[in-house]
Amino acid sequence: MRAPPLLYPLLLLLLLATSAYSWKKEEFRNCNQTPFCKRARSRKPGSCNLHATDVSISDGDLIAKLVPKEENPESEQPNKPLVLTLSAYQDGVMRVKIDEDQNLNRPKKRFEVPEVIEEDFLNKKLWLTRVKEEEIDGVSSVVYLSDGYEGVLRHDPFEVFVREKSSGKRVLSINSNGLFDFEQLREKKEGDDWEEKFRSHTDTRPYGPQSISFDVSFYGADYVYGIPEHATSFALKPTRGPDMEEFSEPYRLFNLDVFEYLHESPFGLYGSIPFMISHGKARGSSGFFWLNAAEMQIDVLGSGWNSNESSNIMLPSDKQRIDTLWMSEAGVVDAFFFVGPGPKDVVRQYTSVTGRPSMPQLFATAYHQCRWNYRDEEDVYNVDSKFDEHDIPYDVLWLDIEHTDGKKYFTWDRVLFPNPEEMQNKLAAKGRHMVTIVDPHIKRDESYHIHKEASEKGYYVKDATGKDYDGWCWPGSSSYVDLLNPKIRSWWGDKFSLDSYTGSTQYLHIWNDMNEPSVFNGPEVTMPRDALHHGGVEHRELHNAYGYYFQMATSNGLLKRGDGKDRPFVLGRAFFAGSQRYGAIWTGDNTAEWEHLRVSVPMVLTLSISGIVFSGADVGGFFGNPETELLVRWYQLGAYYPFFRGHAHHDTKRREPWLFGERNTQLMREAIHVRYMYLPYFYTLFREANSSGTPVARPLWMEFPGDEKSFSNDEAFMVGNGLLVQGIYTERAKHVSVYLPGDESWYDLRSGFAYKGGQTHKYEVSEDSVPSFQRAGTIIPRKDRLRRSSTQMENDPYTLVIALNSSQAAEGELYIDDGKSFEFKQGAFIHRRFTFSNGKLTSSNSAPTSAGNDRFSSECTVERIILLGLSPGAKTALVEPGNRKVEIELGPLFIQGNRGSVLTIRKPNVRIADAWSIQIL
Amino acid sequence: MERRAVPLLLLMCYALCLALIDRSESLHSNGISPQDENYYKGLSSGAIKCKDGSKKFTKDQLNDDFCDCPDGSDEPGTSACPNGKFYCKNAGHIPLSIYSSRVNDRICDCCDGSDEYDGKTKCPNTCWEAGKVAREKLNKKIATCQEGVTLRNKEVEEAKLAIAKEETELSKLKNEKKILKELVEQLKERKEQIEKAEEEERLKREKEEKDQKESEDAKVETTKSEEKTEVQEDAVKNHVRDKIGLLNGSPSDVVECPDEDMDKIEHEDQSHKDEVEQVPEDSQEKDTTENTESLSKEELGRVIGSRWLGKKSEQANEEVDAGTKSNYDSNDEGPTDSHEEEYHGYDSEDDEHKYEDDETEDPVEDLGGEDHDSSSSYKAESDDDSDFSDVTATSNPSWMEKIQQTMKSIFRSVNLFQTPVNISDAVHIRKEYDESSAKLSKVLSRISSLEKKLKQDFGPEKEFYSFYGQCFESKQKKYTYKICPFKEATQVEGYSTTRLGNWDKFEDSYRTLQFSSGDKCWNGPDRSLKVKLRCGLKNELTDVDEPSRCEYMAFLSTPALCLEGKLKELQDKLEMMNKEQPQSHDEL
Repeated sequence: MRAPPLLYPLLLLLLLATSAYSWKKEEFRNCNQTPFCKRARSRKPGSCNLHATDVSISDGDLIAKLVPKEENPESEQPNKPLVLTLSAYQDGVMRVKIDEDQNLNRPKKRFEVPEVIEEDFLNKKLWLTRVKEEEIDGVSSVVYLSDGYEGVLRHDPFEVFVREKSSGKRVLSINSNGLFDFEQLREKKEGDDWEEKFRSHTDTRPYGPQSISFDVSFYGADYVYGIPEHATSFALKPTRGPDMEEFSEPYRLFNLDVFEYLHESPFGLYGSIPFMISHGKARGSSGFFWLNAAEMQIDVLGSGWNSNESSNIMLPSDKQRIDTLWMSEAGVVDAFFFVGPGPKDVVRQYTSVTGRPSMPQLFATAYHQCRWNYRDEEDVYNVDSKFDEHDIPYDVLWLDIEHTDGKKYFTWDRVLFPNPEEMQNKLAAKGRHMVTIVDPHIKRDESYHIHKEASEKGYYVKDATGKDYDGWCWPGSSSYVDLLNPKIRSWWGDKFSLDSYTGSTQYLHIWNDMNEPSVFNGPEVTMPRDALHHGGVEHRELHNAYGYYFQMATSNGLLKRGDGKDRPFVLGRAFFAGSQRYGAIWTGDNTAEWEHLRVSVPMVLTLSISGIVFSGADVGGFFGNPETELLVRWYQLGAYYPFFRGHAHHDTKRREPWLFGERNTQLMREAIHVRYMYLPYFYTLFREANSSGTPVARPLWMEFPGDEKSFSNDEAFMVGNGLLVQGIYTERAKHVSVYLPGDESWYDLRSGFAYKGGQTHKYEVSEDSVPSFQRAGTIIPRKDRLRRSSTQMENDPYTLVIALNSSQAAEGELYIDDGKSFEFKQGAFIHRRFTFSNGKLTSSNSAPTSAGNDRFSSECTVERIILLGLSPGAKTALVEPGNRKVEIELGPLFIQGNRGSVLTIRKPNVRIADAWSIQIL
Repeated sequence: MERRAVPLLLLMCYALCLALIDRSESLHSNGISPQDENYYKGLSSGAIKCKDGSKKFTKDQLNDDFCDCPDGSDEPGTSACPNGKFYCKNAGHIPLSIYSSRVNDRICDCCDGSDEYDGKTKCPNTCWEAGKVAREKLNKKIATCQEGVTLRNKEVEEAKLAIAKEETELSKLKNEKKILKELVEQLKERKEQIEKAEEEERLKREKEEKDQKESEDAKVETTKSEEKTEVQEDAVKNHVRDKIGLLNGSPSDVVECPDEDMDKIEHEDQSHKDEVEQVPEDSQEKDTTENTESLSKEELGRVIGSRWLGKKSEQANEEVDAGTKSNYDSNDEGPTDSHEEEYHGYDSEDDEHKYEDDETEDPVEDLGGEDHDSSSSYKAESDDDSDFSDVTATSNPSWMEKIQQTMKSIFRSVNLFQTPVNISDAVHIRKEYDESSAKLSKVLSRISSLEKKLKQDFGPEKEFYSFYGQCFESKQKKYTYKICPFKEATQVEGYSTTRLGNWDKFEDSYRTLQFSSGDKCWNGPDRSLKVKLRCGLKNELTDVDEPSRCEYMAFLSTPALCLEGKLKELQDKLEMMNKEQPQSHDEL
């Protein structure tokens, strides 16, 4: 049948419209268009001819020189020796630096990323005193690393690895495939043409080629994970190897503002963390981190990738080895080896280097409501009151760029927002907070005080010719504050003081967007690589850390605003290793599609194991209009993201939870309420992350390292050690396969029924909730009462949910503090440990008994204890102290929705802060 | 002074005592609404069922700060149940039923402060003050409503009369149409006969001239061949322009248009700079995206930024889009559905004009993709009965008779078979024919207009009859909003008009006007508008808003919404508020 003739042009127009406004592949460089990547990728295994000489111990480090075996007189490359420094740190961290010799005359100092490594970490250095020579595939120098581990430098060909002392088994290594290459800086000779062109942009590259690449091998590994940010599977798929045709770009680490990114792609997104974790059933986990902020490309090499190479490399015949190739445009080698052996050990070791995640304020762990844009004060009040009208809790209302006067941050559109302080105070009266956006591009407008000051003081990033770099972003012509400079960071931070930021109050927190930085008319929508920062550092050298310094400056500014008393809240989009210290990260501009809901889980998990534990995806999807079912499913899953925020593009329909009919309002209210019920648990987990780096959202294998079936599962995740959640990623799903790991049972949070562990269950899907389970053997604290916001929950009583394991035992924790300040660092907190065994629940103190514990107290009681898996028959329980009898009866597992029917101890009314026990009679 | 003080003191004591008594019986009966008192009375004789029937609870469990009933019925006075409701009396003001989540949350929700009783927060009783204001407001509202009800009743009456009148007129017109149609047909027959005769004469004359013409033709032949080659060259030159035409929606050839061509078109107006790529682009990767290569830095910034913004530099695209969409619409729905012959005459002069314009413009629009409505000089008000004076005259029977008489005489006097045709007769017949068919078309137009009007849903009591043919305007910042019920709604900024929607229907039991399928938004939905109606003394448009992009909202106050039921409700409310007042206050 022919369509009416008019339809054809219409369809064509539609096609044009859709293809023109989605992701533009050709605007971003692929590896072949990136000379250093292309060169590195084409290098043959074993082509590195450097060997280690002059090996010695100096200042507690192992030092060596790397020199080429035979001089190649025809090479243009300078062949000066490189210096290798190997050091050991407490808790199984080995650091290897390789740089050009500081003592030789170099054209320029290569960039080392400052202020990422924790100062505390440097104090944990082990003073190496002894090196022993050993014969391991040639002469090797061996040093002590930690209990059970040694660091080894093989001399010829040079190779560095960590091995288990007892078995001699390798854990991880670099240059085992001989792919190491280090392009030394050289003086520009006549005729040297170093310029690179991409599309209409020219990179002058005044210092010429300076890239570094090398191979890293993980032993006993079934999978590797990490290196965010990519919208792809959690277990990293190989990018090279036999049978590799389609997925053949390396994983790119280059912070970019990618318009409408795809859900299955190795291309770089907003942030970069060059940190990889391996995990295998045989050994456990190990980790590798390369502190380098230049563009990086990483290949995960599929097994047999080098089978065609007739190389003479002899590697231990370890089938469970994963080789990777790391390539960077500039910088130095500053690599960290983490021995593990457990997944939590690796993240603890990694965050000992880059810093533990900061402790958020309680409100920040609750629900956030955002939209581009809540237009004016009336709109804000209206949305705020609608939440109350529908009895849906929320804690934070956000204002996107349109709240400013002409996209000049720190200003207000006074027509739309005539009384911003009053607005914030009114919301604060209900215990709510607000967030405004502050981006790093500064409008070039002489009447704008920030611009005036920044240009007068020379605080902007310079272009290659030394003038203030002038790019294009929301406000039009804009310049970018040079946040590499600590002085400028401090200046920037001062702009957040209540005096300086007119219309701000202490209830206002900050959102840093576009900090990749996004430059609409720059190469690949970012800043030219030859732009110049403080100290003559080229943008190429620090690009991936620009957003990090920006969030750092903002966070420190907020800290200063509250005289160092209040914990800052800053959400950022771009990130780097260490960003966990400065706030939360979200996964950027996703799309309202089921596949984007699905990919949010691997994205959040990847961030989580890379230190950034406070992360989440925009609930509902930023671009486009979600179908109602998708929106509901997104709320149900998003309620378990560590960072839980609904957000939408300004071309989309309004999608606040009450706009989709009574039934859907109820479903979304319940989803949000579930998050509020679990806030005590989340907060306890944030504290755990703050003290150990263990993420809030965890991959299954982090809790079940020996359960192979969980290794590539990225449809489900754990919240802490006690909850397992799986999203529903398809429309009108009836059943879903849920894999429950381990040997113990899992209690369905909808029904209270027990499901066996170590099995895949065909689970019947309900519209009420996504599949969620409590692990047998855990005790989870909740606050079941519904309130307007987390602030009003402060004095509400607790519910403890005890899920008994096969030996009728369980344990759990609860951490409480004032939810705002840093007093907890002085010990002003309550930390209880709950254990259940032999029919008796005991609450004991888990906090150190040093001074300070009495500085925080709580009148809260326990109103309800739910017992899952207790053999039936119990009618009463005895509370001690007090010798008080309380009833046991059947009650719902969740009051809202009246879900499940489970044994409940009614009104034990013990104080949460006290020691007590409850014996089931 | 003293005399006044004594009763005051007494009263204060009285109030205090009441409060104390209230407290003592409290906690158990806290938060219970008067309607529920009976339900809870059951507790005195043992356990009762939760309202949802799911469980039972005893008197001890009532408000014991533990949620036994999932529906909250055992905890009307505490925050223990997430689904519960708390009732505050708010004596002196309106009683309120609030969510249990507000109880003892340190925020004063009830004006009598009864929701905060745990002693952690002091809530002053503000009911009297707030109630006074509320009562005044309510009084005003009642007054307005009362007056509005009268206005509305009047309008309803008028509407009924007017509709009846129009229905009568319609049936009359239908009769006349019949007669007139016959007449016109007869006249047409006559006219054609005359014309046939004339034609024969003309042919005769032409034959005579033929020979002369043939000789002239021979000369022309030579010049024609030259022209042909020129035309071909032009065709090549115009190739590109044709393609642009395609992009803008010309229906021909589109099926064959391959993608590369689309590319060419896209890049047509951007000068083709050489691409200075060091590394060649994957030639297969070329797609239909915009060429950002040759843009200046600033243009590039604007283009890339506009992706997120969905506006500005993409404006051109938007217009193409919108234009095509509205053209498409106009072909099967909306106010411009009267292209068909039988509707042709329905609109008044202005509109007819408009449609003629439309028809000539249509192909232009197809090519140029101009926004449909922004180019039209549409006068909404003129839609109705502006020029029916002579049509209505046709309903005068004597006039009809007269015309029939004239006809008869004409038919008699004209000899059909006379050649050559009597010129004055021919003129006469033609004139009569023209006049009668003009009359007919006016009658038809009036009929169709009346039919269209009477077909509308004017509400259960025809209370919206007076909206027909009316437009309501409101100026907000730079825009003028114009809402014409039963027709369309537009937003005017200077000379450009954006259609926010065509009349769709009433919604929400005649409390909302729905306009939909307006001009398409770039990268978004078709514009639409909801107009919420509220009771007011005159028709007045206020508060036009765009809560989501391209989804508009407005308020229209109108007497049509001043319902007696609503008035009663308000009066009852006031009565209750007055009743709930502590008596003491009246005397103060």
